[in-house]
Order: sequence, then structure tokens, then C-alpha cells
Amino acid sequence: MVATTAQQPFTIARLPASSWTLAVRVWLATILALFVSFWLQLEAPFTAAVTVAILAEPTRGQALDKAAFRLTGTIVGVAASIAITGLFSQARDLILVASAVWLGLCVFSAKLLDGNRAYAAVLSGYTVANIAIQQIDSPQHVFEASVERGAAIAVGIVSIAVVNVLMSAPDGQSRLAVQLAAIHRRVRDYASAALRGEADSATFLALLRDIVGLRPDIASVALESSSGTVVSAAARSAAVSLVAELQVARALNAGEADLEPKASAWKMRELLRGDARVCQDLLALRSVKWPSRLQRAPLYRSVRIAADTAVRAALWFATASTLFVWTGWSAASASLYLVATVAALGVTTPNPRVFTAIALVGAPIAVVLAGILEFILLDGTDAFLLLAIALAPFTIGAALLLPSQSPVWSGLGRINLIAIPTILAPSNPQVYSTRHSFFTSVFIVAAAAVLLAAQMLISPVSYEKQRIQLLAEARGELEPGNRNGETPEEATFRDASRIGQFLSAEGAQDNRAITKMLSCFDRSAMIRLCSAKLTQLVDGPIAPLARQAHEAIVTRDTATLRAVARALRDKASHKNSSEAETAACLVLTSDAIDRDNGLDSSREAT
Amino acid sequence: MAHTFGELVVGGVLVAPFVTYLVAALVVVIALRPLLHVAGLARMFSHDALAQLSLFVTILCLLMLLF
Repeated sequence: MVATTAQQPFTIARLPASSWTLAVRVWLATILALFVSFWLQLEAPFTAAVTVAILAEPTRGQALDKAAFRLTGTIVGVAASIAITGLFSQARDLILVASAVWLGLCVFSAKLLDGNRAYAAVLSGYTVANIAIQQIDSPQHVFEASVERGAAIAVGIVSIAVVNVLMSAPDGQSRLAVQLAAIHRRVRDYASAALRGEADSATFLALLRDIVGLRPDIASVALESSSGTVVSAAARSAAVSLVAELQVARALNAGEADLEPKASAWKMRELLRGDARVCQDLLALRSVKWPSRLQRAPLYRSVRIAADTAVRAALWFATASTLFVWTGWSAASASLYLVATVAALGVTTPNPRVFTAIALVGAPIAVVLAGILEFILLDGTDAFLLLAIALAPFTIGAALLLPSQSPVWSGLGRINLIAIPTILAPSNPQVYSTRHSFFTSVFIVAAAAVLLAAQMLISPVSYEKQRIQLLAEARGELEPGNRNGETPEEATFRDASRIGQFLSAEGAQDNRAITKMLSCFDRSAMIRLCSAKLTQLVDGPIAPLARQAHEAIVTRDTATLRAVARALRDKASHKNSSEAETAACLVLTSDAIDRDNGLDSSREAT
Repeated sequence: MAHTFGELVVGGVLVAPFVTYLVAALVVVIALRPLLHVAGLARMFSHDALAQLSLFVTILCLLMLLF
């Protein structure tokens, strides 16, 4: 008998030590950012503290990657602010309309991207609300405000980067290698279960979601060290190969009656080939070497869902602007900035309305905490050391919530981390004004409330609509050919990312739709693999058969495909020849197309 | 003789010489990354990130001293 023990992580107050070190790093970086901003006499030191709060990520690579995109997004946003102010100076309504359109365009781009790229896109959108709209009454100050914001952001980035390096923030590279190796073990277990006919779709979907979910992390390790680019390429290649292996393992599932013993043998060989590729890529990742094949990990982009979301985001902003213009508050521009921020950041989450609701709950908590900090703890002091000590419980407390698995707790932590320095607005010398704090608090809460009302009026794109759209696009891909010279594995990864998006829209609960999605996934993967095999035969002696098979794939003529398979098998010199392999592949493709058509006819019958 | 710093003016805004040196040092470090990978910097030091930060500071100081 073998006894195994799982290593328990070291915990303090039932929280892992990694959460505590992250929280302390965030606090130290906030203090450093504020100190440098005061020393440089920047206009808005709180922007540097807010930058630290935004860049509070568990690994060094994630923080640096987000920092690079924050800087890029700010530069694009500042350029757009200057252009909008220049074009529509002295015309309030036109500036608001232009800002809403720009926000919509940025949200559209964000929905076609993921991870920190999506964040940069939405940041470009709401930077306009921060600069052009906040300076709506003094357009001549737009450039100065932009430079001030840029300087404060740069100070925040440098602060968190230096603190992360000096305090040995965790390495994303080693973590990624461990995660991919663990997923590889699970894929092998799944393949073993598939051989026994015991594999289920839920395990397959969980594995697919976990692999596709690593995509932003893989991109973020590139900046981590001098070998980051190599590690990122190896990890990307491993992820793409893992999806390919998983797809072949799914095809092996004996539950799908496979009457062709030759096809089964071919599938087994493909699985072993796929496993060998994954092993090579993981070895390259561990030994920090370029992978043998450089592969891209393309993301599925639904233009229709992106356009729908963009129109809604622009309308939320326009509705909130109309309301604030109607109220006539001169300081409502601050609220509009927050409306744009929460609306834009919300679209990068699965459910924007839930994100706004969390912001609405988190805002009053942040207001109370900032009030305690400003008027009870600090209460008139102007010593920087006291500010640093007083900030500790609030910053560390909020940062401790960040790594939480629950999006609600994690969201509340992030909102408090950002809102507390915003409401406190540290300056040198500090101004203790109850009036200023009261109005800032009212505008923050009002922004979240107005946005939630706008989102009630104009609903975000529903999960059901997203699922229907993704399914329609999957089924509509008549010729799942290789776009931009993609390899079959890369194209399969793109399809896997579409399933990932489908699952984010609560797709796992929609059994019928997920079955159809998986059927499309199987069909497309088999067709691509088959087309690649046929392309190898096009220049050989059996070119006419290869061309006939290719045409049959395009027209979904399974009878011809099976006839070509029989002819190829007759011509095959031995059972492992390329003709025999292509014949087995053609039979499997015919099965996948028939299964897919069977689903279609059952749908039409119901 | 006192060291003179070149002035950089962008759109009428005077950029501090230190910022110019910071950006230049960053560009040099980014350009050196492929060489550092080939040289195996990550294997030479137990704390790769700290070594890179030190390299950045060294290049920054060298630029300030030489130009």
C-alpha cells in the first residue's frame, strides 16, 4: 500500500502566505508611488496609487504585461482625447457624442481581444472620459492633464515593478510549466478513460476550458525575463498541442461506436504522435529552449457579439451623459468618467451588469473606509510616515481579497483598492475637506447607480443570445479551412477558444447546444486533419482520388468519401502507408459529418 | 567642467534629461534581451529579475556618464 500526502501551503489567518506577500507588496508599492509623486510634485499623486492598485497581480510577468498595455492604452486614449477636444471644442454635446462613439469603438476592439490586450482597448476608451470630459470647460488644459496623467502612471508602473523585483514576486514561468504539466497528466487520464469508453464530455470541456484559459497567462510571461519570449513560445506550442491531443483522445472514445478497426489503429497512432509533441513542447518549456515547431494560439473572434456589446456600451454612456447633463451639476464630469470606466471594464467580464452591481456594493464600503481613514485615523495630520502606516490596514486588507476564487470578493477587493486612494486623494499638503470627500463619494456611488439603471434599461447581450450566435457561427463555417496559413492544430485551438467563450456564457447548462457545439468541433477538426493528409497526396500518383475526396469534403458527400477510402485502401502498399492513413482519416471524417448531419436532422424533426 | 545635458523638447514641452536617459536605457535593455537569453543570464543568477534590474541601472548610469 502506498500512502501519499498533499503538501499544504503555509497559511496565516487561514489565508495562504502568497496572498499576504502580494498584499504587502501592493502596500509598499503604493507608499513608494505616493512618495515619488510627492517628491516630483505631481498634480494628482492618487493616479500613481491607483495604477499600483490596477497592476496588483500575483506574478511579476502579469504586472509588467498589464503595465505595458496600460501605458499603450493611455497613449492611444490621450491622442484620441486631444483629437476629440480639437474637433469639438466648445461643443459639449458633440464631445459627449464623440466620446460615446469612441467608447463603443474601443469596446468593440476589446471584445475581439482577451486578457491585458482587452484591458488596453477599454482603457483607451475611458481615458477620453477622464481627460476630454473632465477638462470640458477648459480645453486648453487637455495636454497638461494628459502629461500629468502619463507621468503619474509611469511612476506607479516603476514603483510596482521595482517592489516586485526586490521582494521576489512569484515567477509566472515556473507556475505555467507546472500548470501545463498537470493538464497533460489529466489529458492522459482522459485518453485512458476514452480507451475504456468511460470518458465524459464534462471532463473534456473542463480540460478545454483550462487550456484555453491559460492563453493570457502565456502571453504575459514574455516580459518577465530575458528568456520570457522563448518560454512564452514553448508554452503556447504546448497549449496548442494539448488541445490537438485532447481532440484525438475524444475521437478515441469507444462510446462512439467505431466499427473500423483500421480507423481505431490510426486514431491510436495519432494520439501517440500528439502526446509525443506535447512532451517535446513541455521539455522545451522546462529547459527554456525554442520549441521544435513555433505555433500560434489564435483566439476566436465573434464580430457580431462584439458589435452588439459595443453599441450597448455606447448607449449606456450616452444615457448616463444625458441624465447628468439634465441634472446640470457642474462637477458631474467626475461621475461620467466613472460611468465610462465601470461600463468599459465590465464588458471584459462575462456579465457587465453583475460587475456594475459589485461596484455599487463596493463603492459605499470604500466611501466608509476612506472616511474612517481620512477623518478618524489621519484627522488633520500631514506627516507622510503616518499616511503610510494608516494606509496599511486598508491597502493590505483590500489586496488580500484579490486572489479570492469568488469574483464577488475579488471584485470588492479591487474596487476598494482603487476607490480608497481616489476618495482620499492624497496631496501635499493634505486637504481635509468634508465637503470635497462628501461630493466625491456621492459622485462615485451615483455613477455606479446610474450605470446600473442604464444597464437595466438597455440589457447587456444575454448569455442565451451569445450562445445562439456562437453556435450559429460554428455551424455556419461550411469550409473550416486554414485562415492566414494556420496549421490544423492552430485552427483547432481557435475552435476550442470558441467553446471556451460558449462555456463562459453558461454554456455548460445548455446540454443540447453544447452537444451541437462539440459535434461542430469534432467535424471541423477531422475535416482539417483530412484536408492536410489529402494535400500531401495531391502531387502523387493518386492525385485524382485526392482531388475527388477534397471535393466530396466540400459538398459533405460522405458516400463518395467512403468510396474513395475503399479505393485508397486497395492501393495501399502496407497498413502504415500514407494511403492507408488517409483512408482511415476519410472514414472518420465521414462518420463525423454523418453524426453532425444526424444532429441537424433530429433538430429539424423536433 | 560641469556635465551638460542635451535638451529634448516635444511639442513645446521640455522633457527632463533623466526621462530621456531612462527611455534610452530601456531601449538598450530590450535590444539586449535576445543576447542575454543566448548568454544564459537566467541560469547564471539565482535571482534573474534582480540581475536584470542591476543591468538596467548600470546601463542607465553609463549612458548618463558617457553622453
